[in-house]
Amino acid sequence: MENHVELDNVTKFYQSQEKQLHALHEVTFDVDRGEFVCIVGPSGCGKSTLLKIIAGLDEPSSGEVRFKGRIVEEPQSKISMVFQAFGLFPWRTVLENVEYGLEMQKAPKNKRRDVSKQYLEMVGLSGYEHMYPKQLSGGMKQRVGIARALAVDPEVVLMDEAFSAIDEVTAEVLREEVTALHRETGKTFVLVTHNLSEALELADKVVVLSSRPAKVKKVLPVALERPRDRAHSNFIHMHTDILHLLKEELENTLLRRKLRNMDEVKALHDMEPEEKAK
Amino acid sequence: MSVSRQKAITSSSTNKVWCVQRITEHLWVVPLAGGVASWEVVTRLNLFPGSHLPTFSTVLSIFFVSIQDPAFLLRIAHSFLTLLCGLALAFSIALPAAFVAGSKNRFDATLTPLVMLFGALPDLSFLPLLVLWFGAGNAAAITMATVAAFFPIYFTLREGTRNIPRELFEVTSVFKADGLSTFTKMVLPALSPYMFSGLRLAYDFDWEIIIAVEIATHMTGIGSFIQGTVSTGSTASGFAAILAIALVAIAVDRLFFRSLESWTRKWA
Repeated sequence: MENHVELDNVTKFYQSQEKQLHALHEVTFDVDRGEFVCIVGPSGCGKSTLLKIIAGLDEPSSGEVRFKGRIVEEPQSKISMVFQAFGLFPWRTVLENVEYGLEMQKAPKNKRRDVSKQYLEMVGLSGYEHMYPKQLSGGMKQRVGIARALAVDPEVVLMDEAFSAIDEVTAEVLREEVTALHRETGKTFVLVTHNLSEALELADKVVVLSSRPAKVKKVLPVALERPRDRAHSNFIHMHTDILHLLKEELENTLLRRKLRNMDEVKALHDMEPEEKAK
Repeated sequence: MSVSRQKAITSSSTNKVWCVQRITEHLWVVPLAGGVASWEVVTRLNLFPGSHLPTFSTVLSIFFVSIQDPAFLLRIAHSFLTLLCGLALAFSIALPAAFVAGSKNRFDATLTPLVMLFGALPDLSFLPLLVLWFGAGNAAAITMATVAAFFPIYFTLREGTRNIPRELFEVTSVFKADGLSTFTKMVLPALSPYMFSGLRLAYDFDWEIIIAVEIATHMTGIGSFIQGTVSTGSTASGFAAILAIALVAIAVDRLFFRSLESWTRKWA
């Protein structure tokens, strides 16, 4: 396997009104071709910023991202993205939304239509071509988002909290479908998430980030058998291990900063429903 | 209760709802007809001198004569074209300005206070100066209409630009849209609901401004025509002109604004 995407000491500072915000600190890891990598970390640690840098939407302050050995300085036609709030154009129908990427590549109209219909079928949305996004549920919208990302035949699909704005049952179904899509297409997937179970269900490799400034705390290969079983003891062990890593991070942060707002505490609680259930 | 009976009841009640809806939709006819009727009665009773307030039936008959008069129609067309020029100019200046101000805080901080400052001034106060510079002609009238239309268009489009989700800009970048297609295929459709309300407000403002400008400067148009009917004592023609303006306004509303709105409603 070759290194498909490489992150090399990616550091990011934001300048906001005299205050300098250190978002990412020397983040380094590799993504192999065809691998499914999940990036997890505490809320607000800079996971999404990292994904935007990989997408070429944002520049690192220092360090670099390489795609097939070449430095990423702008969005790449072979790197596509699925968005947290779906990013659909409300004035375009489902079909027209999926066609968007191909339209921007100036693909002929027939090809656009055929390819888009094929991907809509793949995500189970045949028959919805002429509906507008407002007529769809959250899960269906994200299917459109996934179809749009795949329609341009990318090598890498980046997903930014792609299942976070969807109800849990729908998200579960969608995750299974994405696992199948990953297997069928052999494309490289990188998902940013704050949901540990989600990460363990999908990933070949989990990258655990620390709280801000985000550093790579640990890179964990997930050798669990597929389809992943959340009730399996190995799954639970890994889940617990990562949870401890993250808790440690959060507690450090809390102590350090004596946070006034409770957002991060809430994030901590969000991460352990399964622990409580036991 | 049998199923068929239940069905009959529901269908008759939906029928009833439908009828009530239809009636309430057209309820505006009642006060209008009432107003026209009392107008007719009051004037027939000679409570007002005929030269001040003609009967409604006179106005109607003069209206039908006037709309066959090319000179009358030309005056309306002249005012309407002035208005369209003003709207178009204001729109083409306000759109880029509002987009820049709405998307870049730095520009907003420079531009918006200036726009606010000028917007706070009564537009018509510039009229004498405009007439001094450009003469009492189309240039002054169109400039006035542009100035009046600028503010509602600028502020609605600026608000609209601010409400475009950041994510949509990221979508255009990820799929490598160039600047032009980002603007025509993303920004413009996203702004269309705001364009609709801005243009509509500006359109209403501009009718007022143009009539006022024409009355004040006696330049060709329907405003000066109305002014003329008062000084010659033929107020019925003045009312006929007002009726014609109302019909133009209704036509523009139905043909342009309604279709834009119904397109927006489909997806928004």
